[in-house]
Amino acid sequence: MQNAFRGLLLLAAAGLISWGLFSSDGISDARWLGILGLAWLLLLLGTRIPLAPTLPTFNRTIIRTGLVLTTVFVIVTAQLVRIQVVEGDNIYYKTATAPDGEIIANPRTASGDLDVARGRIYDRNGVVLADTQLVDGQYLRSYPEPASACVVGYYSPFLYGASGLELAYEKELSGAAGNNPITRVLKSLLHRPQTGADLSLTLDASLQGQALDLLGGSRGSVVVLDIRTGEVVVMASNPTYDPNQLFTTSANDAAAKAYWQSLIDDPAAPLVTRGNLGLYTPGSTFKTVTAGIAIEEGLAKPDSVYEDNGQLDIDGRVLVENNRPDEARDQWTLAEGIAWSLNVVLAQVGLQIGGTDLWKYGPRFGFGEDIPFDLPVAESQLANGREVLSNKNALADTAFGQGQIQVTPLHMAMIAAMWANDGRMMEPYLVDTVTDADGTVTRQAAPATWKTPVSPQTANDVEQMMINAVQNGSVSGAAADGYVVGGKTGTAETGDGTNHSWFIGFIGDPEPRYAVAVVLEGGSGGLSSAVSIGRDMLAGTIQARREEAS
Amino acid sequence: MMQARYRPTFRATEFNLLLIPGALAIVGLLMIIVVGRGAVDWTWGDIWVSLAFAGAVLFISVSFGIRGFRGDQVLLPITATLAVLGMLMIQRLHPDLAAIADGYAMVAQRHLMYLAAGLVVLWLVVMLSGPLRVMNWLRKYKYTWLLATLALQAATFVVGTEVYGARLWIQIGPVQIQPSEIVKVTLVIFLASYLDDKRDLIGSSWQVGRLSLPPIPYLLPMGIMWAASLMTLVALNDLGSALLFFGIFLTMLYIASGRLIYVGVGLFTFAAACWAAWTAFSRIEIRVQNWIDPWRDPYVTGYQQVQSDYALASGGLFGTGFGLGHPTFIPEVHTDFVFSAIGEELGLLGTLAVIALYFVLVMRGYAIAMRAEDGFVQLLAAGLSTSLAIQTIIIIGGVTRLIPLTGITLPFISYGGSSLITNFGIVGLLLFMSSLPRRA
Repeated sequence: MQNAFRGLLLLAAAGLISWGLFSSDGISDARWLGILGLAWLLLLLGTRIPLAPTLPTFNRTIIRTGLVLTTVFVIVTAQLVRIQVVEGDNIYYKTATAPDGEIIANPRTASGDLDVARGRIYDRNGVVLADTQLVDGQYLRSYPEPASACVVGYYSPFLYGASGLELAYEKELSGAAGNNPITRVLKSLLHRPQTGADLSLTLDASLQGQALDLLGGSRGSVVVLDIRTGEVVVMASNPTYDPNQLFTTSANDAAAKAYWQSLIDDPAAPLVTRGNLGLYTPGSTFKTVTAGIAIEEGLAKPDSVYEDNGQLDIDGRVLVENNRPDEARDQWTLAEGIAWSLNVVLAQVGLQIGGTDLWKYGPRFGFGEDIPFDLPVAESQLANGREVLSNKNALADTAFGQGQIQVTPLHMAMIAAMWANDGRMMEPYLVDTVTDADGTVTRQAAPATWKTPVSPQTANDVEQMMINAVQNGSVSGAAADGYVVGGKTGTAETGDGTNHSWFIGFIGDPEPRYAVAVVLEGGSGGLSSAVSIGRDMLAGTIQARREEAS
Repeated sequence: MMQARYRPTFRATEFNLLLIPGALAIVGLLMIIVVGRGAVDWTWGDIWVSLAFAGAVLFISVSFGIRGFRGDQVLLPITATLAVLGMLMIQRLHPDLAAIADGYAMVAQRHLMYLAAGLVVLWLVVMLSGPLRVMNWLRKYKYTWLLATLALQAATFVVGTEVYGARLWIQIGPVQIQPSEIVKVTLVIFLASYLDDKRDLIGSSWQVGRLSLPPIPYLLPMGIMWAASLMTLVALNDLGSALLFFGIFLTMLYIASGRLIYVGVGLFTFAAACWAAWTAFSRIEIRVQNWIDPWRDPYVTGYQQVQSDYALASGGLFGTGFGLGHPTFIPEVHTDFVFSAIGEELGLLGTLAVIALYFVLVMRGYAIAMRAEDGFVQLLAAGLSTSLAIQTIIIIGGVTRLIPLTGITLPFISYGGSSLITNFGIVGLLLFMSSLPRRA
């Protein structure tokens, strides 16, 4: 009986350690130590075997001490298995940010890296975005299409680490993951260099270049998505940088250091990829969301009529309306409110919805949520907190896209695409396939719906209102011959006297195919150029895809 | 009887087992040289160190046989294997270390010197302990050992050199010694002798009225030892040695008395003292933080631990191979963190092999203790084996972040003269004791 009980204790200890090692990969060191402590107690109890009473005290105590030491060695073994093998990869690639902002990473990831045939990165048409060439026994990284830097990132093993996809897909590109595990172990045993896996992106390099050309001297971002799949076709950020100048073969490259310093010192922040990391006030482009929520809640229809005589008194603050095309008219439908971007109409819609319900819809549209993506995405917000929206003026401001609301261009493009996709917000993705050194596809992206904030009917209403805004409203500049285009502009007051110019929209033939979000930062471009950039990108994308198909 | 014990013999098991560390020394050093030069280009002169080492251990084995020594045949091969790993690691780290700082220029040469001295000490202890009646005077002068222990600790406090906030060293002319390594041995000798004398008394109870108390007067010297351990902790800030002394102290007390209550009380008071020290000194608080989460300050206080984690993780199952890793990213890798360097270059298989060697070594020592006829020899063998076990566990546990890290050497492997010579002496004593008359 007692033997069976001790056996159970030992089994429990083994089970506990195995569970700690293998089941939950995100287990913290402190928790793991707790598990080991518990397992050790079980081992101590399980090894308390009965000793013959005839044995001298000394022999009994020595045997007991030996058993205790045995349990300690077992625990040490478990710890070594965890650090060296089970968690080995995670620890090897672990990074931390020091208080001064410097990133700490395993120096080995850099020092061995010129021995690795790092995987190439291709655009959707097979154009090489990041290349690896063997020169004098070292694998050198180069970027034939620097316009894609805001997606691909830089790779600077001796100086600045990596960014963008170069960082996010470090394991695959360096061959540490994604390859056949047997090949990997064999290569590591024989000290042969690993061959990295290649990435094929959904990005279109020529459209990406076109986007940067269109942005020209303006600071800002352009994101183009495939409405039905969530593929990111363009994600441009201007100004950008040349990743070729950051790749070095040693830590003592004065030119690279000077270039890096110039990027850091540049007030236009070229290293910040605005598409996924830039947070902006969305301005009137957010009106589509306000209208959509009101329709979804049954509070309004596109033809619901609102009073707008040029001003609205909200708790003593007078909101002035400048956008009415006809100063003599006082009655406007919701659709006209969207088409002419009437702040007074949307403020009333927002007050109809109320702060509580507007806040409730935030997460459904992805505000305050982590957008699943191949690159990190800054988190959008409706307001700093739920209580802010209980103030009527703050609520009205939020309803037409002012106040504390903050979005990324990627998120706005996802919202535009969602209206044209029956209310389904797709997970955006950049990496279509990961192909290992043997040519085996180890990962294939599949379109997935992330959120469904509104019903297909509601989405359709908003879609039609956006098409109406282009055909009959203030967004006429977005029209493209032969296609159905819907859109919404926005002018976001930044508080320092300048404005961000926004355009979100979609294009179809006539089925909606691509959505766009354009933002031009404070004062660096007018509203009309945001609209024309958006139109050119939508038309350019749909034409490029047609040519590809034919 | 005497004639039988001195009849020459050939220690075949030992000799054959010693071929393993001998071959390891030669192959390992060849690999280090070839990897370092990037070409298969070597001469016999390059590996004279390994040839000399292999020759030395085989000579020791043969000379033991000629002397008619009939002790344990496994201890020496295990010790030699561990020592070879240490020697190879230092040879491998030496060029990288020398490039980091001038102070490391002679590390490999010094290590070889200490290793040679260690082997000589082991040989002398085995050869001369019998004729010199070493066991007798070790037993007899127990209070001398106690005084030596206390005096060494006090001397460290007064004239010790502070390194990284802890007083670990005494400088005597050109020689730097680490007193804790010597204290470890004198402490075991004193405890073995004292506990053997008072074994029955300490195991008994002391009746005060209806209360049954431990025999307090006989525990007084124990209390002094306990205080000395705490002094090591508080005054010298040497948590590693304090843990080691305290572990030895409690284990021997338990082995001699069979009473777990001593262990319980001892652990409790030590934990309380640690807690007090933790609240009093920020250094200990930092140490605990670096144990649980070195990533909170990965640049300054947690730097070594973070780099050690990286090294162990990069080793994986098989390791990078000698000379192919980057263990010198860890500061002081050749002393406190040599185990991480083994983990990086020899992988999990290497680290498990190392701890298995220590385990067998300690269990072998316990077997010698159990077979011994004499009470003092029993306790001495058990105590010395325990000291090796605890020291190993403290430093490996610290490096692998099972317990807070403390600056203590890994026996036979870490760089450090005091540690190497003392530990070889311990193995010499264990070997000698294994040849003494056995219990029926």
